[in-house]
Formats: sequence, structure tokens, C-alpha cells
Amino acid sequence: MSNQLLWYTTRGAGAVSLVLLSAVVVLGILSVLRIQTAGWPRFLTVGLHRNLALMTLVFLALHIVTAVVDPFTHLGWLAAVVPFSSYYRTFWLGLGTIAFELLLAIVVTSLVRGLIGQVAWRLVHWLTYASWPVAVVHGVGTGTDAWSAWLFALQAACVVAVLAAIGYRLMAGSRDPLANARSSFQSAVDRRETR
Amino acid sequence: MLLSNLPASSQCGFSGGVNTYAMENKDTTQARVRARDAAMRLLNRLTTGAAISAVIGVGLFGAISANTIPGTTTTSTTTASSTSTSSGLATTTTPVTSSAGSGVVVSGGS
Repeated sequence: MSNQLLWYTTRGAGAVSLVLLSAVVVLGILSVLRIQTAGWPRFLTVGLHRNLALMTLVFLALHIVTAVVDPFTHLGWLAAVVPFSSYYRTFWLGLGTIAFELLLAIVVTSLVRGLIGQVAWRLVHWLTYASWPVAVVHGVGTGTDAWSAWLFALQAACVVAVLAAIGYRLMAGSRDPLANARSSFQSAVDRRETR
Repeated sequence: MLLSNLPASSQCGFSGGVNTYAMENKDTTQARVRARDAAMRLLNRLTTGAAISAVIGVGLFGAISANTIPGTTTTSTTTASSTSTSSGLATTTTPVTSSAGSGVVVSGGS
């Protein structure tokens, strides 16, 4: 495989990973809102969210492997694992490493959700809100094509989609019909435990 | 057991098709099963479509990035060649530029 082909694959896989990750974040936000129709039950949103998250990891792996084995940059495997250890664009590549490791932690804890419990899983899952913007900044800072019109439009579309989903989530509030009952039950349990 | 304990009135009389609760419940369950199967098929189709689109996307974005920033440099060499006229009085200097597009990879980043 030629060096140029590796480089093009790195850039293509990076762009696809950003799109997939943004879709995963949007679907995750929508799943919290419990949106459903006759032809789109709630579990479809959750299932698609899970499948796309796993797919994102695959394309991120492609992005990282092609970047590491590219002989021009000599990044080395350490840079892919340890943040800010790369001699090449240290800060921006370090952000990419952090975003990948956060995403890995989120996916792994989701796969073993039954073992670690709901509270721990939820706490780790909140890291998504850190992983996604770090990934976007990594793309802007490191990306060779960051200011190319096509990638700029792609990044802008991803940012708008996620911000719109977050805005909708904040405005819609909780769609859980048992939210009040749950909170009152939880507060009653807390009161009993503090006695 | 005395037959008097099981009078004919112990059985439900024919309601004329009005009491169809049990049948409706079964139909509702079947409809839900069908809806769930349809949703699972849709999930599989969407996942497969996303995977295929992502693979195509890598190729497409790679091709676009190759066209916008191909990662090759054009090496230019400028030399000055002096040409003397036959009279020997005037000398003109003409720059000669040669371009080689064989390509030097400047890859890096993502």
C-alpha cells in the first residue's frame, strides 16, 4: 500500500468517524427523549445508537492504524495510546487520543453495563459530552483538510446537528411518564437511609 | 359430584359476538409481534446501510481529499542561462524553469 493511499484513508476514515460519532450522539440524546412513532419504536433508536457506536470504533481504529503505519509521520503506537506523546502536532493529536480513549471507555462500560450498575454506567456515559467536542477540535486542529470547503461543511453540519439535538433535549425536558414518581420514591428511600 | 352443581346456566350464553375481548387481546399481541419484527428488520437494514455508506464514505472522502490536497509537491528548479548574441554586445538572461510532478509525499496529520 502506498504512503499516499494510507494518508488518504486516514483522512477519509477520520471524516467518516466524525459523522458516525455525531450520529451516535444525536441518537443517544433522542433515546433519552423516548421519541417513538407507530413505525419507529423506542428500542429502534437505542439499537441503532448501539450499532453505530460499535461501527464508530471500527472506523476510528482504521483511522488510527492507517495514521500510525504511515511511514512519513512515524507516529508510533505509543502516540495512539498515550496522549500528548507524539512529536508531531503534539497537542492536536493528543486530543484525538483522549477522544478515542473516552469513547472506548463509554463503549466498554456499555457492553458490561449489567456488571457495573446503572449509576456507574451513567456517570461514564456522560463523558460522551466531553468526547465529542474533543474529537471535533482534534479534527479542526490536526486535520490536513480542516479548512477545505468540503470538510468544513461536514464539520459544521455535525456541530449543528448535535447542538440542535442538545437544544431540543433541554427544551423538551423529561419524557419519562414516571419521572415524578421515581424522584419522589428515590427521595423517600434517601430519607429512610439517612435515619 | 352432583349434576345439580353444574346447571346449564353456569356456562356463558352466546353473546352474539359482542364479548370479543379475548380475541382482540390476541390480535393486539400478534400486531405487536409483527410490529417488533418489522422494527428489527428495519434496524438491520439501517445498520447494514450505515456500514455500506461508511465504507463508501471513506473512499469518497479519501478521493475528495486526494483531489483537494493531493500530498505531492512540484519541485521547481530555476536556472539562469546566458545567451550571448553574435555581436557580443548584448547579453540576455533567460530563466529556465523545469517542473517535475513525480510527487513527494508530504503526508501527515489526518
